[in-house]
Amino acid sequence: MTVGAEVPGAAPSLRFTRNRWRDGLAASGVFAAVAALFLLGMLLSPGFATTTNQLNTLRAVALLGIVASGLAFVTFSGHYADLSVPSIMAFAGTIAISAQPLGPVLSLVAGLVAGTMLGVLNGVVIGYLRVNPIIWTLVTASTLDGVMRWIYSGNQIYPDATTAAGRIFLGLYDQQLVGGIPLLLVVFAAAVLLGHLLLTRTSYGAQVRLVGSSPEVARFSGIDVPRVVLITFMISALAASIGGLLLTSLNKAGAPYLGKGYDFAAVTAVVIGGVTLAGGRGTIIGVLGGVLVIGLLSNIMSLIGIGTFAQVVVQGAVFIAVVGLQQWSLRRAGQDDA
Amino acid sequence: MRVLTSRRWRIWLLYAVVASILIALAPNFATRLNQIAILKATSTHLPSMIGFSLVLIVGQLDLSFAAVLTLGAMLCIGLQPALGWAGSTACAIAIGASIGLANGVLVVKARISSFIVTLGTMTMVQGVVNLYSKGGTLSLNDFTMADWLDPMSLLAPRVMICVALVLVAEVVLQRTPLGRGLFLLGGNSRAAWFSGLNVDLTVILAFVLSGALSAAGGVLFAMSLSSANPAMGTGSLMLVIASVIIGGASMNGGRGSIVQGAVAVLVLVTLTNGMSAMGAGFEVQLVASGVVLAATVLLDAAVERRRDRRRGARAYLLRELESAGA
Repeated sequence: MTVGAEVPGAAPSLRFTRNRWRDGLAASGVFAAVAALFLLGMLLSPGFATTTNQLNTLRAVALLGIVASGLAFVTFSGHYADLSVPSIMAFAGTIAISAQPLGPVLSLVAGLVAGTMLGVLNGVVIGYLRVNPIIWTLVTASTLDGVMRWIYSGNQIYPDATTAAGRIFLGLYDQQLVGGIPLLLVVFAAAVLLGHLLLTRTSYGAQVRLVGSSPEVARFSGIDVPRVVLITFMISALAASIGGLLLTSLNKAGAPYLGKGYDFAAVTAVVIGGVTLAGGRGTIIGVLGGVLVIGLLSNIMSLIGIGTFAQVVVQGAVFIAVVGLQQWSLRRAGQDDA
Repeated sequence: MRVLTSRRWRIWLLYAVVASILIALAPNFATRLNQIAILKATSTHLPSMIGFSLVLIVGQLDLSFAAVLTLGAMLCIGLQPALGWAGSTACAIAIGASIGLANGVLVVKARISSFIVTLGTMTMVQGVVNLYSKGGTLSLNDFTMADWLDPMSLLAPRVMICVALVLVAEVVLQRTPLGRGLFLLGGNSRAAWFSGLNVDLTVILAFVLSGALSAAGGVLFAMSLSSANPAMGTGSLMLVIASVIIGGASMNGGRGSIVQGAVAVLVLVTLTNGMSAMGAGFEVQLVASGVVLAATVLLDAAVERRRDRRRGARAYLLRELESAGA
């Protein structure tokens, strides 16, 4: 019987309750930070609490949220991060534009498939050959970057606005569904929700958590660890592809440099959200909190006039500080098995 | 076959193969002028390569070296009017060393993973670089140091300095107790601690050296370009990481050689130089370097997996169990 498999009709296993409480506390810690930042914003700038500003901030973090929800799975499994995310984003968008002759739906699917294939490559090498994930994803990122520049001779690729596929693609980012709700926010909410459900309510999610906590125990419990790892990288690549399609639509053109910076921002969001890099702890709702913290922080810094370069320095400092704090509190609780 | 998989000899074989192909196919490859250019480009990346190797050998990662390189370049040029060449170079290296110190202290004392610390430091230093240069390029007006480093000869001072650094580092690494301590630390940190080695200090030292050397590399790079711009470190990041791995260092620490890493830098620079000569664009060169690195990584991993299987036990699982009792 695999770990996490449930007897039909029985209540969820008690074994996971204590972990859920602890992770829930970590997640609520993040939301306390969100609330604090909200308060700070209202105090520091009159333009902060307006609906327009809030909506803009939400839209700004939506892409990051989608990508971070997928990346979190790689981190849960104890593999630190998937640093090829920026290149996968650019690749998915560029392939979707090139595939436009296939029609609106198929071109998007082609983009998603292309990106997920990268995830398969990453997952196979890291899961089965056990290469260092940071180094391997850096390798795929730079090679993919080179391949994209080579195929398209370093140019940007423009969707053909005369075709239906082109028009739909260009409008994707700003698309609004029934009731004026932006498609972007719906996809964001769906990504977070699906990720959370996948992690907490399926046996696969329990497997990922166990692999992240202790790979040897997972192996001895009969879990196919390489396959679990493979699927985490596929999830991360799929999320990156979805984000990439939307980002390319926003940019109105495909380019190899799109997505730059998303790797660091997504890892920061994941870490602020309570997911430890050693794996096995955290929730996707926490990641949502981390994304909101980053968005609010940038928003507040912009409103009070701190330039983009300085903001980057602050983000780096916040990143190190948050991880340090996490490690310190875990060590105090005697729970750092990192 | 042995030579192909042996970490010690394959880099020399690789150089021989690449050089012979290029001598045959690339126009002007074997000319003195071209070789001078190759040596100049190689020696620009050697200091960072030494620093990264040291950190990798003790089992940590320093992702911030490219940003520190850029900062070193910027400071060297920016402070030159006020402090003169010696002063600005010393200042750049000192600041690189202090960033390395910060990295080391955070890794050792705050016990944060080196991946996180150096990722954060990389972002912060890059931000500082952008702030300092206001997004633009700094150029130099005083060419005395640049001219001294690069007269048109094969054994220019720049090359000599870097070769000397490589040889000194290699001797220290392979022949002194300090060097053996670095390998021990990377291979089995608990054994290193039990043997009386000051683990904390050694790791901090590795990071400090990495920072100082990267800054020095930045100074050399700035001299070769006669300017400094915020994006100059990006190519260096992948090149150095690739060289260190292709040169036979293990990604888990505990193994490596500076000289082999230097030859690997030479191989990659020669490869891109030759490809340019044959008309292949910058993008193709990127792909080629990536493919060579990927092939090396995969080969190493495959060999290790086969070794694990032959030993009968999953060594990585046993390693986990051993370290769990910390």
